[in-house]
Amino acid sequence: MSPAPRRRKVVLVGNPNVGKSALFRHLTGRYAVVSNYPGTTVEISRGRLSLEGIEYEVIDTPGVTSLIPQSEDERVACELLLREQPDVIVQVADAKNLRRTLLLALQLVELRRPMVLVLNMVDEMRERGIEVHGEALAELFGIPVVETIATYGYGIRHLLRAIPRATVPRNPLEEQQREVLGTAAGSALPMGLLVEWMEVGDARFRQQVEQLLGRSRLARVPHLWERGCRGCPTSRSLCRELERARARFLESALLTLRKKGGERARSELTPSAFRFWVVLLLGGVGLLAWEEVGGYFQWPTLATILGALIRRYVADPTWALFRAYRLDLWHQLLFGSRVGGGAGLLTEAVRLFALLAPLVIPIVVLMRRSARFLSSLGRWTRQPLTGIPILLVILVLIYEVVGRTGAQALVGVLEEILFGAYLVPWLQSLLPPGFFHDLFVGPYGLISMGLTYALAIILPIVGTFFLAFGVLEDSGYLPRLAILSDRFLRVVGLNGKAILPMVLGLGCDTMATMTTRILNTPRERLIATLLLALGVPCSAQLGVILGIAAAYSPAVMLTVFGVVASQLVLVGHLASRVLSGERSDFIFELPPLRVPLVRNILLKTWLRLRWFLAEVVPLFLGATLALFLLDRVRFGARTGIEAIEEGVRPLVVGWLHLPAAAARVFLMGFLRRDYGAAGLFDLAQQGALTTTQIIVSLVVITLFVPCLANFLVIVREQGWKRALAIVGFILPFAFAVGGALGGILRTLRVFS
Amino acid sequence: MEVDRELGELLEALWTSEEQGEAFLQDVRRIAHAEVTDQLLERALGEGLIVRQPSGHLRLTPKGRAMATPIIRRHRLAERLMCDVLGVDVEETEAAACEFEHSLAEGVTRAICTLLGHPRVCPHGRPIPEGECCRQAEEQVRAILLPCDRLALGETARVAYVSTRSHARLLRLSALGIMPGVSVQLLQRWPSIVLRCEETEIALDQEIARQIYVWRTRPEEWSEAGET
Repeated sequence: MSPAPRRRKVVLVGNPNVGKSALFRHLTGRYAVVSNYPGTTVEISRGRLSLEGIEYEVIDTPGVTSLIPQSEDERVACELLLREQPDVIVQVADAKNLRRTLLLALQLVELRRPMVLVLNMVDEMRERGIEVHGEALAELFGIPVVETIATYGYGIRHLLRAIPRATVPRNPLEEQQREVLGTAAGSALPMGLLVEWMEVGDARFRQQVEQLLGRSRLARVPHLWERGCRGCPTSRSLCRELERARARFLESALLTLRKKGGERARSELTPSAFRFWVVLLLGGVGLLAWEEVGGYFQWPTLATILGALIRRYVADPTWALFRAYRLDLWHQLLFGSRVGGGAGLLTEAVRLFALLAPLVIPIVVLMRRSARFLSSLGRWTRQPLTGIPILLVILVLIYEVVGRTGAQALVGVLEEILFGAYLVPWLQSLLPPGFFHDLFVGPYGLISMGLTYALAIILPIVGTFFLAFGVLEDSGYLPRLAILSDRFLRVVGLNGKAILPMVLGLGCDTMATMTTRILNTPRERLIATLLLALGVPCSAQLGVILGIAAAYSPAVMLTVFGVVASQLVLVGHLASRVLSGERSDFIFELPPLRVPLVRNILLKTWLRLRWFLAEVVPLFLGATLALFLLDRVRFGARTGIEAIEEGVRPLVVGWLHLPAAAARVFLMGFLRRDYGAAGLFDLAQQGALTTTQIIVSLVVITLFVPCLANFLVIVREQGWKRALAIVGFILPFAFAVGGALGGILRTLRVFS
Repeated sequence: MEVDRELGELLEALWTSEEQGEAFLQDVRRIAHAEVTDQLLERALGEGLIVRQPSGHLRLTPKGRAMATPIIRRHRLAERLMCDVLGVDVEETEAAACEFEHSLAEGVTRAICTLLGHPRVCPHGRPIPEGECCRQAEEQVRAILLPCDRLALGETARVAYVSTRSHARLLRLSALGIMPGVSVQLLQRWPSIVLRCEETEIALDQEIARQIYVWRTRPEEWSEAGET
């Protein structure tokens, strides 16, 4: 313990997806990831705040629907409340959902800690014509009530003033509780909560409660805290009585708290303007479809036409000028290489803008200005008939941004031009041949391989993916996939809720493995973790697959995804059969669709990239160094790498029918999936693989072991035994599937 | 088939205690609403309605079960009716339900069952035996109380009760705002049910939605009812 006075603790609590993390950032200046889906925060973040000369520690918690936890992330939050003895509890609430706010508040007041109630998102509340009587609410509980819009920072000043003035709330249900529970209600224990914890809480949580509240104190209320009493008629009827009292109270409180006659704050578009924007939107979708279909048949599309125009009227005329000032590197970066005809930064930006603008601008206008469109869009995205086409459009857009702009254009500019044509040759000419030459710019050089892979291949892919993904996260679209996928996920023993970690896995399997905490049972967490480790490609892999597919044919991509998906279903189904337990209830809250804030997306992407660079670059460099050393060490006539390639030759060449050099890719894949994927990308670009070989190696590297970071997180979440079992299953499985697939494709002669 | 009252009470008591496991004579005596005399017992045994097992406990024969089914059904439907429609407290329904079980005509029973949306369990959570009307899911009388998945799309209704034995499920639903008295709107039926409850949209399984029973009312009526 430090001698300094203890920092006062402020805990942010509230329903999922109400903006706790956004407020946390405003209070502490530290960024906790903010998105528009329940379960963004699964861990506790801490930050500091200094107010009126007092130091506070602010704690951000995962969202809870009630203080009776029903999943891992809720348990974390509830235990924290009991353990930390917060000096101030800030309940963050979605202002438009008053009933749920009151329900949670009624539980929180039982903890008898000073409280502040924050009504967040008052803008959305007003848009829906709802008004809340803030003063009456403050009076009801006897605590300060503050209105905020956390994303814009509105009302934060009031919150800062309210925190030091937090007061211990009055429990409006105290009398009713005393009536039901008798004398026991008089003690300082949260009696109402205790009754419910005993009835519903899982054993592990009840043990925690016992420890945190003190066994001796609980012993004084024996008839409520006896193991044998769980589920007995007395405790059941007590629960029912308390619930009834709560419901009665809520009904009367809601009547007084809701103000009448709020006007909808936003004006609607006129019908003709509405039609105009909808037609424009449909035009944008048509343009996108033309781009894909036309691109496949090599018809003139937007990309080719724009590219030709820019080359003819901008790039070619300016070439001499750039050259005169020795700026030919810049010219190539902007307009693409002179010989290859690839895209440059400027050409690509123009193409992407021309493609996205007709889609994005109408959508943003319609979502912002037309409540009718917003609710229709909400309906379209969750109904299969319209939802699946919308999903396809979104997938195509991701492919455009990540696969073509990221993995093709940006990688082309960075890898081929900046690193390949300028930086590496320049360094090669600078360093005299010898050890250091090979160390930095040799075949396994730190710069020519390590940095190139990290900065020129993976960074643009991951960067564009994080951008696209951030938009999806903040729009509130992702949870809607839960409805479309619920039936499908039942086959693998999960329910729709599990689509969140699965889709997040496309961003990063490591983060997604942590998100499995939102699932309700340990069994579901294990299945989801296994499937993530087995076959959900992370952004870098996905980008590489998309990039390779864009270079070969869409059939490659479809085959790879089809095979991997079928394996996921197969393994998931078997796992759900082997692991005992029932499928848990699918009861899932859908957040409203919102127009994402550009600032939040940029901030989120930047922080993720920073994290990525800090973690990945050293790993890539270390791995390259290891390869370099292996290449220098000699075993008889062979180098270390050749020896390893020789050792796994039966597997790689004999079984998978890949060139021996592919062994290196799998070796790299052990260190990080994306490192292996980058190696594969490199191999494919050199034209060393046939189409069948590409498919087989993509499938194997996708099914392959999780990367080191993912493995460590699995160990942390599931323990050593399970983590090793998962890897022990996946490794042979990946090679078995790859070999079998190769055999089938060769027999059928589907691809060259 | 006309069953005299005492015999009916005996069969009912035996049915109820069989639901909780093996039924012994003393259990049946304790919960029966009529005095179970030895004479009555002999009569039931004699008519082949119940048998005494070698281990000492009693069991309903198929014949006895067939005779008891409509009684149990009427009793539990009556409880549901009073509890949900008339708003009588569960504990107070017992005496009246005992009267109903002997006096309801089959046609009336069927109408009540349909009115209540063919409920599956009584307010105490015990199963209600199915009647002919449940199997045919008759809807000649427009049900005013029904599981929420049977609402029309876009229709708003008020939650009457959630008929589940899982307390965790009940708690989860109520934490999201689905509790008796709240109005919900059915937004989507397939592939999952989507309800709007106040400003929250909630997706749930069909099985769970079937347990949420709602009052069919027009929204205007309900807001007026809420104000008074």
